[in-house]
Amino acid sequence: MKYVNEAGWDRIVRVVLGIALLYLGWAGMVTGGWGTFLKIIGFLPLLTGLVGFCPAYALFKFRTNKTAA
Amino acid sequence: MTDPTLAERSATHPRPVIVDVWAPWCAPCHRMAPIVERLAGEYEGRVDVWKVNADEQPDEVRRLRVLGIPTMIAFRGGQEVSRKVGAGSEADVRPLFETAFSGQAPARRGIPSDDRLLRLAAGTALVMLGLTSGPSLLLLAVGGIVLFTAIADRCPVWQAIRPRLAALIGRGSTASPEV
Repeated sequence: MKYVNEAGWDRIVRVVLGIALLYLGWAGMVTGGWGTFLKIIGFLPLLTGLVGFCPAYALFKFRTNKTAA
Repeated sequence: MTDPTLAERSATHPRPVIVDVWAPWCAPCHRMAPIVERLAGEYEGRVDVWKVNADEQPDEVRRLRVLGIPTMIAFRGGQEVSRKVGAGSEADVRPLFETAFSGQAPARRGIPSDDRLLRLAAGTALVMLGLTSGPSLLLLAVGGIVLFTAIADRCPVWQAIRPRLAALIGRGSTASPEV
């Protein structure tokens, strides 16, 4: 796919990280301001992992999937 | 005696034809031009590309029933075999060339199995997290959407409404020819 700039391992890491951050925030493991921060910020790696596109990578013309077109 | 239409000319043409309807003022057309050129080069000798300037050939545009540009129509033996309206990536345009060349409708592209697995796992985790934390409607909704995207290509209801949604969204990326 043209717009995918993340390798498979990269996507898995992002999804796992996103779920972990959301768990910490939403399950109440971290409370207060940090908890709220994690509740929101966790969606970022999750979304970029699921879509396979990282805007920051695109900005710096970087990609982890070297073989994709 | 009137000039033959593009469809009539394509019937006597030795190769399948892609008619690319564009206009100088159409920004999506300019974005598509390098993609079409690249594919035309790749399919050289197998499929020909005829450019139709909507401003200069309004009658032809009307005959081709073009409602927005860019529009690309694949003709094979004078018969329209496929049509693509609106801008898109090379992956979106390539099936048009393939259909023109082979006469076969392109195989439906599904979600790769590793992608599907990732979405199923993430969606399930989100739903579980949503159920155990509250429950949280936001997490349940996001989890549900993620799970749905994992199976959407196999959902007959979604397949039925998807072209209509695509047409609605496509209107935003197409320009209406001034004909």
